[in-house]
Amino acid sequence: MSRVSPNLLPMLVVAAVALALYWPLMYLANIPAAQRALDTGAALPCKTAVECATQLRSPVLPSPQQLWQGFGNLMFPLNSHNAIPINAAVTALETIVGLLLAAIVGFFFAIGIVASRAFERSLLPWIVASQTVPIIAIAPMLVVLLGQYGVQGWIPKAIIAAYIAFFPIAIGVAKGLRSPDPLSLDLMKTYHASNWQTYLKLRFPASIPYLFTAFKVAMTAALIGAIVAEISTISFQGIGKMLAENSRASDVVAMWVIMLSSAVLGILLVALVNWIERLLTPWRRARLLAPTKPTSGRTEVSP
Amino acid sequence: MMQPHIPSPSSQTNHPIVSVRDVSMIFPTGTVALQDANLEIAQGEFISLIGPSGCGKTTLLRLLADLIQPTSGLIRIGGKSPEEARKSRAYGYVFQAPTLMEWRTVLANVMLPLEVMNFPPSERKARAEKMLALVGLEKFARHYPWQLSGGMQQRVSIARALAFDPQLLFMDEPFGALDEITRENLNLELLRLWRETGKTVIFVTHSIPEAVFLSTRIVVMTPRPGKIETLIPVSLPQPRTFDTRETTEFFQIATEVREALRKGHGYEVTE
Repeated sequence: MSRVSPNLLPMLVVAAVALALYWPLMYLANIPAAQRALDTGAALPCKTAVECATQLRSPVLPSPQQLWQGFGNLMFPLNSHNAIPINAAVTALETIVGLLLAAIVGFFFAIGIVASRAFERSLLPWIVASQTVPIIAIAPMLVVLLGQYGVQGWIPKAIIAAYIAFFPIAIGVAKGLRSPDPLSLDLMKTYHASNWQTYLKLRFPASIPYLFTAFKVAMTAALIGAIVAEISTISFQGIGKMLAENSRASDVVAMWVIMLSSAVLGILLVALVNWIERLLTPWRRARLLAPTKPTSGRTEVSP
Repeated sequence: MMQPHIPSPSSQTNHPIVSVRDVSMIFPTGTVALQDANLEIAQGEFISLIGPSGCGKTTLLRLLADLIQPTSGLIRIGGKSPEEARKSRAYGYVFQAPTLMEWRTVLANVMLPLEVMNFPPSERKARAEKMLALVGLEKFARHYPWQLSGGMQQRVSIARALAFDPQLLFMDEPFGALDEITRENLNLELLRLWRETGKTVIFVTHSIPEAVFLSTRIVVMTPRPGKIETLIPVSLPQPRTFDTRETTEFFQIATEVREALRKGHGYEVTE
């Protein structure tokens, strides 16, 4: 847990700076709209354009107060099917299951790419092509297709998330499997190690750092994939479903709140990857900690 | 400490443990890396292959280790082909770089060949610990490689090469990347290891003092095409110490090696 706190202060500083920059921008954007509203004689609880700029019903940019209120409205009650927590949890589930699916598929693709030139040459161009198809176009068709076989609800969204996420994983792991230097491969040869032993003792462990780098890229891609899938198909739950609903209702404040919440969800999911990475690569953790050790007499808490 | 090596009956006969006959190595690019090399090495010798870059010394070592195959000629390792020797794990190989696995602790690195070779799990740790003690690193068993200096890392890789008790130890410029002081210390330590284990060592270097200090015989090689120029026996008494480097005999042999290198157009010698 002590590893989270060093990040917290810089993050808060950035948030404060962003807010300080956002405030004048918000006024700049909203004052003309507020003036128009006053001119048309709309029923507003304010008298001047500057005052009204923070209270518009559908602002160009919501004021921080409006965001805060909107956040309060959308977070509670915690167990409501229209509130953010449950919907965010569903989207997180789709993302994580999607990532795991992508990891399995990506891993086998990576082995194929590394083990066989023919595999790489014949399949890689098609894989690249598959990634250029807009997800928003392919998602509804996939859902219809999967629906034919009774796969419904959150699972199709996880599959769409996996569809986007597997590519960075396959490429990252392939690079990791190729990362051992020629001398290390020679070393295994002098032991008369089998192909399988070389993978098990050398290539797989060497690919772990690459795997986690790929996971971080893939996690954000999977999250976007899950949300886009929710938006572009019929959904009853999820961040994407909330975005679609509030978009139809033209609730600008809610859209912003949901968008910011999904950003926080993204941060948390990548933090989860970071945490698992630290757990699984103790040799790197010690190395990363080494330069920060002399900062204070604080004792490091290892998980 | 390790028990003194007891030669098996077959190796007590006059058969050399390594025999190289008319071996040539021509790479697909047309480079003649090695031409008509002939060499016989007896059990228990410490042989240095010395020469400038491109003289084929690393090529010769890699041929012995079956990491590459000769264009022509015959190589025998303990009466077997290099491939059979490699498959029967007849030799340990120490590379220019320590090639330790960063995700393994020092102890686990030394255990790596024992895992690959399916030694009983109960035996692996004991053997690895014994090897670490042999190179004086038993206190660092739980460290990760990056926590060790370059010299210590290379000592770990020597311990790893000896862990499965091969008869032969191939070393390809193992101390080339180290500073002079560390190198001289490791040279002394390597000689002690050689005496204690009775291994046959084949050692590639481009340092004349290192070759003279370590070897029982020096194989002088010259480039373009890579070939064996001459063999120089080193009769300096054992055990050798830091003072050995100061003796007149040492300088005489060093001069002999230097002249042999020069004779073979090896004037680009780097030390």
